[in-house]
Amino acid sequence: MEEGKGMTDEVKVETGLYYTNEHEWAKPSEDIVVIGISDYAQSQLHEIVYVELPKKDAAIAQGEAIGAVESVKAVSDFYSPVTGTVFEVNEALMDSPEKINSDPYGEGWIAKVKPSNWDANVAKLMDAEKYKQHITTLKH
Amino acid sequence: MELRKTHIYQYHAEHGNVIDFGGFAMPVWYEGIIPEHKAVRETCGIFDTSHMGRVYAEGPEVVKFLDYVDTNDIGALIDGKGVYGVMCKPDGGIVDDLIVYRQSAEKFLVVYNAGNRAKDFAWLQKNTKGFKVKLTDMSDKVGMIAIQGPKAAEVLAKIAATDPNAIERFNIAPIKISGFDCLTARTGYTGEDGFEVFILEDPVTAPAKSLKIWNDLVTVGAEPCGLGARDSLRLEAGLWLYGNDIDETTNPIEAGLKWVVKMKKSSYFNGRKALEGIIEKGVSRTLVGITLTERGIPRHGYEVYDGEKKIGVITSGGVAPILNESIALAYLPPEYKEPGKEVQVKIRTNLVKGKIVKHHPFYDESKYGWKRVKA
Repeated sequence: MEEGKGMTDEVKVETGLYYTNEHEWAKPSEDIVVIGISDYAQSQLHEIVYVELPKKDAAIAQGEAIGAVESVKAVSDFYSPVTGTVFEVNEALMDSPEKINSDPYGEGWIAKVKPSNWDANVAKLMDAEKYKQHITTLKH
Repeated sequence: MELRKTHIYQYHAEHGNVIDFGGFAMPVWYEGIIPEHKAVRETCGIFDTSHMGRVYAEGPEVVKFLDYVDTNDIGALIDGKGVYGVMCKPDGGIVDDLIVYRQSAEKFLVVYNAGNRAKDFAWLQKNTKGFKVKLTDMSDKVGMIAIQGPKAAEVLAKIAATDPNAIERFNIAPIKISGFDCLTARTGYTGEDGFEVFILEDPVTAPAKSLKIWNDLVTVGAEPCGLGARDSLRLEAGLWLYGNDIDETTNPIEAGLKWVVKMKKSSYFNGRKALEGIIEKGVSRTLVGITLTERGIPRHGYEVYDGEKKIGVITSGGVAPILNESIALAYLPPEYKEPGKEVQVKIRTNLVKGKIVKHHPFYDESKYGWKRVKA
């Protein structure tokens, strides 16, 4: 995609979160990890109209496709940034998938996971600084 | 590789989200596909269609020539009238779909898909053999803008020298727009009332006239629309997209385009014999409309099932912003063509339930589209 209107807007990268190359984020919070897609990912997809959520209680592995986020034009697989068990999914996205566009790090969260090996997972993720550099390379 | 720029490129670069579309730098959206789609169904949207192929066919045998390459009845056209049709190979496979407009007995305007510009011109040129006819590719010399929606005539009238409402559906007439000479056809690719304007003597290297008309249309209230809305609108209207729903491996009979194949024509045309054979034998598959009754979005290439059995493939699919449904076109065996018949679509690992519905168009024509009664 060439750099167009939507691309030049400032993309938010929240600190304290860990990111994948494919633009998922993971946020450790006590004994669970909240996961979702980044502001960059939602801005690329634009107008999200459907989310295929992971299944509650499913055992998932880091890097595994566990759902999908779809805009009018495109489908983007959602790869888990963490290994563990799905503890809760964001059912509100079924009726309001656009929450991912408006608040990707907040109301647009996709699932909460009980991690089984977070230390190994986090070693493969980027912190906010590294992820910022990663998306800069993609924008040119 | 440098992308090709259309007449309206300058506007796209400043306001749109530009992508590579078959080698052309085109906007996929400006504000968003959904608001642009709704603007066309409810008021008026404009599209840059100057990436499309536009050819003048001229000469004493132009009617005979066009009746040879096009399945529809070109001989039946009168001055100022156009007709939608397809060009077939001898085996009945579709080279492209197109609109042919008669300007005079010896001059026609032929309009076809952007992605097929080189292929179609070569195909037409090759088929001129034996006919006194001359082809001139005007694609880079003439701009093209589509104005679509229930308010299209009202919006266009604000910058036109004469009332565009005088042009009937599928007719074409010369009109001055923003002061420039244009040919204006009452056609489009959205299902709505609307116009396709050809801006004459406006080279793509210095397209001042097309840009002026585009900017004037924006000023008088037309919503600029990108290719995303163009695709979602044509799908909702059940209109064929070349490369998805029709191509050289599909024939017009199975595609639901028998109505543009005029066997009553006295002359031979490319594909005639093969298509007569297909009609006599019956088709092995037919293009149907599907709406999902469970959540999910069907997409091009997804498989369609009846229980355990794979019965076909989706050629076009997506969300219908006006209907708030997931819709698709697919080739299925003819026994599945009846509305109400239940099928499943394989979306990633899940079989999602759907049913056959009427698809040309998918929407209720008393609520949307050019046939609706104007309030």
